[in-house]
Amino acid sequence: MHRYFFLTSFLLFIASGLVFWRQNQSLKPIAITTSITGKTEYCLTCHADIPEISPSHPVETFGCVLCHGGEPLALDADLAHSTMRGGSNPSDLSVVETSCGGEMCHSGTAQANRDHIQRVTTSLQATYAGAIAQVRYAFGAQPDLTARMGVYAIDGLAAFDSAAESSPALRSFAVNCLTCHLSSQPLEGKNYNRWTGCSACHSPAPRTDGTQVHKLTTAMPYTQCNACHNRGNYSLADMQFHPRQDAPTDRLHDYYQPIAVFTRCEYTLDCADCHTRQEAMGDGHIYSSKKDIQYVRCKTCHGTPDALPLTHIIIDENDLALRLAFLNPVIDLKVGDTILMTDKGEPLWNIRELPGAAGETPTYELFSKATGDRFTFKPVMGSTCQQNPNQPQASSCHECHATQR
Amino acid sequence: MRPSFYDHLHPPTIPAAQARLHYTMGAGGLAVFLMLVVGFTGILVTFYYLPTPEQAAKSVQELTFLVPFGWLMRNLHYWSAQLLVIVAALHLLRVVFTGAYLPPRRLNYLLGLSLLVLCIFLDFTGYVLRWDEGVHWALVAGTNLVRSIPLVGAQLYAALVGGNQIGASTLIRFYAWHLFGLTLVVIIIGVWHIFRVRRDGGIAVPPPELRTDPTRIPRKELARREGLAMLWAALVLILLAILVPAPLAPGIQEGATPASESLAPWFFLWVQQLLKAGDPFIFGVLIPLGGLLLLALVPYITPHQLNHAELGKWFPRGGRLVQVLVAILSGAILLLTILSLFH
Amino acid sequence: MDLFMKASLAGSALLGLGALGRYISFQVESGHPSKYDLGPASDYPAGSSTPAPEIPALIIHNDQGFKALSLVCPHLGCTVNVTDEGFACPCHGSRFLRDGSLRNGPASHPLTSLKVEVNDDGQLILYMA
Repeated sequence: MHRYFFLTSFLLFIASGLVFWRQNQSLKPIAITTSITGKTEYCLTCHADIPEISPSHPVETFGCVLCHGGEPLALDADLAHSTMRGGSNPSDLSVVETSCGGEMCHSGTAQANRDHIQRVTTSLQATYAGAIAQVRYAFGAQPDLTARMGVYAIDGLAAFDSAAESSPALRSFAVNCLTCHLSSQPLEGKNYNRWTGCSACHSPAPRTDGTQVHKLTTAMPYTQCNACHNRGNYSLADMQFHPRQDAPTDRLHDYYQPIAVFTRCEYTLDCADCHTRQEAMGDGHIYSSKKDIQYVRCKTCHGTPDALPLTHIIIDENDLALRLAFLNPVIDLKVGDTILMTDKGEPLWNIRELPGAAGETPTYELFSKATGDRFTFKPVMGSTCQQNPNQPQASSCHECHATQR
Repeated sequence: MRPSFYDHLHPPTIPAAQARLHYTMGAGGLAVFLMLVVGFTGILVTFYYLPTPEQAAKSVQELTFLVPFGWLMRNLHYWSAQLLVIVAALHLLRVVFTGAYLPPRRLNYLLGLSLLVLCIFLDFTGYVLRWDEGVHWALVAGTNLVRSIPLVGAQLYAALVGGNQIGASTLIRFYAWHLFGLTLVVIIIGVWHIFRVRRDGGIAVPPPELRTDPTRIPRKELARREGLAMLWAALVLILLAILVPAPLAPGIQEGATPASESLAPWFFLWVQQLLKAGDPFIFGVLIPLGGLLLLALVPYITPHQLNHAELGKWFPRGGRLVQVLVAILSGAILLLTILSLFH
Repeated sequence: MDLFMKASLAGSALLGLGALGRYISFQVESGHPSKYDLGPASDYPAGSSTPAPEIPALIIHNDQGFKALSLVCPHLGCTVNVTDEGFACPCHGSRFLRDGSLRNGPASHPLTSLKVEVNDDGQLILYMA
């Protein structure tokens, strides 16, 4: 009996020591209390080495849980991550409203320029409505090219359902050709590597070693867009995607597909330097073709022989242009500056008119959104341009200015 | 010198045969110890638990991850509670299979049975207090089961849930039951049960003239054995607390749907399995109550066949009918539990 | 052996009590802030006495500059009322003069003075004692 007591007391003492050892092993939480919600979260206990995602989403204000979901007080990885939205990507369109939405965030009013989610979810890049309309029309499933279906149902569009289509071509279309829209998983291969949702454009793709870059940016280089664009062609004849076959080694040859015709600025600058927010993210309306929303032309920046490009003087310190320049400070924009503007009123905030003498044609400076490089240029008006003023489309500019590969 | 309160807890000597571990398994005494641990750790856990729907799961997570030794107190509370239900059930089986329900022990048997039922409900109310997705659907199903009782179901549901749907009132009522309502009844019946053990002559053995072994052990030796058992039990509880944490899940979400592995708590898995068969009132209330009734009638089923001379050993021949009935009942519950894990 | 066993039990008990002590005395809340941003200093013009009930304190701007008096009664912690003569505590009758000094008890200390200063952005910051 005494032996048992001795043994048990000793074991109990060891066990008590184990209790203290286990307590010592527990992670000491690193807490932050976010200024938006006033709630505390312990994510930084394990994730303190993750960099700030962007200057407009500081972690002291937002924390992590507001965007990512998850259990803010759990220090066990499985429990903490169990209620995260969208896995590693809370901007996936299936969860974007909860993660990024809100009156004061990205699903507010158009007047406040906060309606990003409404615009993106109805845009062609998300709904793929244009391609679906084209193919269905081609195979007699609909009488005209008006968009009736998207990859998901929204705002008057029905969801495209290949099982309900009678044409075998359309069923092949569903299998082979629905790989480039914001909700789809990318094709295999490092050329196609991207996220879904907002991060498809605004976050760098996961690295080749599988690790991820925690970043939201508006400074997207052309390679970001080329995860979907300029990758090849879909053929209606065999309902397949045919990847481009060339093996480019420099920017000139990598930028566009071999069939493309383009000028020097079209490959020197990045896509985002010309293509506007409405073009990429939509304007909230359903369109049937990208030609209905893509409206930036050479003349938007360069003007025509008869007219200078449209400009906008910044008078309000809350001007959208100043907000956009804050997000990507390649240009030191101030109230009083004159910037270029599209004919829909969108600010080309990275292009500024330089002060010059009265009576002279102005000079403009452009700062590349991806690199910050500065370029200057003069408008077409007052130059030796031979363009017919009645034919201001890009093809007529390309006749003289197309680059030789 | 008049004996103290401590001296009244045990008689001066007890027959050595009564104290054999392979006779009683020490289950009853172990249950008392586990009750003390669960009560004490329960008070400690109450220091940090916040009983509102928004705070409940968060406070449990804070207790587990932030408070020093919070994980220990919670895990000890969890394990002592689950082991208590198991040990109490084993004690019940021991009493039945050794015929220790014969008069004068019939009332005490019923007191003990009600303690088992109360412990199961304490386990369930404590489970609900987590207020996380792990318990969400057990709470919905369990309260709706009450509603299925004819005539009084709606009123019983309203009394249990504190309204017409699960919410803050439900949580605070379960909190009241768990901390106070059921606990008070358990303490009163528990003390009565232990008093009756002494009054009925201690652990059941044949009357003195029929005993084969006349040796007795003094109170001090009994206390030593109990002390040793408590040390072992404490050791096991601490090791379990360190190695196997109590379950945690994210807090109850609005508009969640049951996960595919939505399960009742382990002690109600047999009821969950029954409920797959049909009408909730019949399979979820009547049949379990029927089982309980069978257990309650054990002291009244052919007691004359068993006589006191056969006490003190397992499976006395005179109690065969009762043993078979209870074995079938326990086997059925065990089988239903196992089946529910392989749906 | 007997001593060793007793030592083991005593050791276990001490460890247990130690754990219990740390468990119970843990402070979950972050506590009261150590300083408050009272807004632009221009909100507190010269000659003004502005109550700040969330602290609670009285912000005074006189010709010596900014100062603040805590409105927590030093007796047992009730918030004192501002009166014409100074301050009066409604709980047990302590009275204080305009400058916070004690007029009559049962309190035995004057109202605590708190430091306030204007920071670089022109905001008035109050520091708790």
